[in-house]
Amino acid sequence: MLNLGIISQIIGNNIICDILFKGGFMKVGIPKGLMYCKYHPFLVTFFSELGAEIIVSDDTNKNILDAGVKYCVDDACLPVKIFHGHVDSIKDKCDVLVIPRIMQLWKNEYICPKFCGLPEMVINSFDKLPVTITEPIYATTKKKLYNWAKSSGKFLRKNNYEIKRAFINALNAQKAHEIGIYDSGYEINIALTGHPYNIYDSFLNMNLVKKINALGMGIITAEFTGEDILQKESENLYKRPFWTFVRENYGFAVNAAKEKNVDGIIYISSFNCGTDSVIVELIKDGVPDFPFLILKIDEHTGEAGINTRIEAFRDMLERRLFNESNISTHG
Amino acid sequence: MKATFPHMGNIYIAVKALFDGLDIDYVIPPQNSTEALNIGSKYSPEEICLPFKIMIGNYIQAIERGADTVILTGSCGPCRFGEYCEIQMNLMKNLGYDLNFIVLDMPKDIGLKELLKRLVKVGSTSKKSSFEKLKAAKNAIEIMNLIDETESLAHYLAGYERNKGECKRLLHKCLKEAVKLSNPYEMLSLIKEYRNKLKYIPVDINKDPLKIALIGEIYTVIEPYSNFYIEDKLMDYGVSSKRGMTPSWWLKDMALKPSKLNSLKIKKSSREYLSMEIGGHARECIGEAILAYKEGFDGAIQIFPMGCMPEIVSKSILPTISKDYGFPIMSLVVDDMTGEAGYITRVEAFIDLLERRRDNVLYGS
Repeated sequence: MLNLGIISQIIGNNIICDILFKGGFMKVGIPKGLMYCKYHPFLVTFFSELGAEIIVSDDTNKNILDAGVKYCVDDACLPVKIFHGHVDSIKDKCDVLVIPRIMQLWKNEYICPKFCGLPEMVINSFDKLPVTITEPIYATTKKKLYNWAKSSGKFLRKNNYEIKRAFINALNAQKAHEIGIYDSGYEINIALTGHPYNIYDSFLNMNLVKKINALGMGIITAEFTGEDILQKESENLYKRPFWTFVRENYGFAVNAAKEKNVDGIIYISSFNCGTDSVIVELIKDGVPDFPFLILKIDEHTGEAGINTRIEAFRDMLERRLFNESNISTHG
Repeated sequence: MKATFPHMGNIYIAVKALFDGLDIDYVIPPQNSTEALNIGSKYSPEEICLPFKIMIGNYIQAIERGADTVILTGSCGPCRFGEYCEIQMNLMKNLGYDLNFIVLDMPKDIGLKELLKRLVKVGSTSKKSSFEKLKAAKNAIEIMNLIDETESLAHYLAGYERNKGECKRLLHKCLKEAVKLSNPYEMLSLIKEYRNKLKYIPVDINKDPLKIALIGEIYTVIEPYSNFYIEDKLMDYGVSSKRGMTPSWWLKDMALKPSKLNSLKIKKSSREYLSMEIGGHARECIGEAILAYKEGFDGAIQIFPMGCMPEIVSKSILPTISKDYGFPIMSLVVDDMTGEAGYITRVEAFIDLLERRRDNVLYGS
């Protein structure tokens, strides 16, 4: 079949969109990077309810990582590079590419400047891209989120009624979707903190979740801590945090340590992440005498090193929990 | 209270004038140096950006000289600078220093009342009347504007001067002498005098020097230590340079931000490439690159500390601008491990490239 993305650049986006939609075979591409792990039901349901065919990139793999490293600007962090790789893997297969520009999920809280400028980063890193949907997403209220739905839906030549129906279905799908890990039955429990795209991408973090479980440690993630507790914990900070992940990770880690739900904290962080450099410091300061392991990942991380560090952490926890008072009487 | 503040370029002269006018006890930290950076990198978190590390060095050196209160500006944008105050407070406390922080944050974030309360906290130790306080503030702002004007005159005229090195000599003499004065009015007239001197230095208007715009992250562009004195070096090479980021621009931008009338020119020119405010000064960086092209500059140099989130976004956009306009732009990343020799070689090579580009017959064909 002809490559519609390129034709659309030649003829003009509007005309192509019209033609395609009357034919009813628009292909919408959604890269499986960054916040996809958390908000994919919303995105997928919304566009499929609008009658588009959804093209989602594969799970992260070596090719995607390599493409990401190749196309993305070299100073960016690993998840952003991987997002570029996902874009590269589907850019020739779809007519419209969705690049979510998540500005705010909560009022007065951002995620990271790179999220706000993500479409610009992607568009300027590739030579040929299909038409992109880059409307800013302010998910602070339903009404503001609907603004995004409206402009994206208008882009696909849909009327208000259709958009509204798709929007409501998408919201319901998102509500029905729950992520998070809450293991039980393990001797040692640890809190796994970090950005969701680092925790749930098993290629990026080299199967961290499985590795931790295999070592006999249960995992609890931030999703099971109530919003009010997170809020209460972060109010102890001198300055109201203006990043969503500061509030989530700091609140969760400090609360888990205080409530003694867990025996240690593992923070998975990508190298050169601006927000992590702050969050890690805040957590260290919030729970000064608590086992806390920071795993840094980038595209060169060796798996053996990560394994050794987790094993050592487990040994340390074990000694701390079970053997600490076993002091030999022989001196 | 003995106040201190972190360095950023020549802002210390204006702050000195302000404290002198208010009659508040203060300590100016020693000029940024490798020593300050070494102290900073020793205690700071590993991955934090360069300005943080230098600032910690400033504080500790100022504490050694008797300071007990730090005055710091804040922000609530998505850039890391907004979290500086919190981490620095914790860090200094853990190091065992008893240090007060007065953070002048945006009213949007902490409320106007809280901001006024903090401002009063700064001014409360002053015995001057309110009228005199306002006057001191006005003088300080005037001095800041004048210094920025003098600086940009010197940097621009350096390419045209007849007597080589005159601009640089005058500028440095001006700064050196201004800092010695403790009367704001005397300081004001001295800087004015030097500005006028600079305005009327003999120039060769037939010269057509290379013109380079400096863009990027505000701290590393303004603070000469962090960018290895790039402006002085450009003056030595006989290159005219311009930088849009100045303390006076920053103040004006902050004051006008609520009305959305700030930096209209920059907003307009950057709209095509970066339409949103993404924090830091990414949009300004893009806008200034395009403005520099339109003003007939030969090239632009972007400087930012390693890991600076907004500037990484602008770095990924700049190659497109470079391609679209045929305008050379170089990105330089600085951190505490940057080697000066490699850095300077890159700047020199860039200047050579611009020079050759002009002479080359193929250029523009």
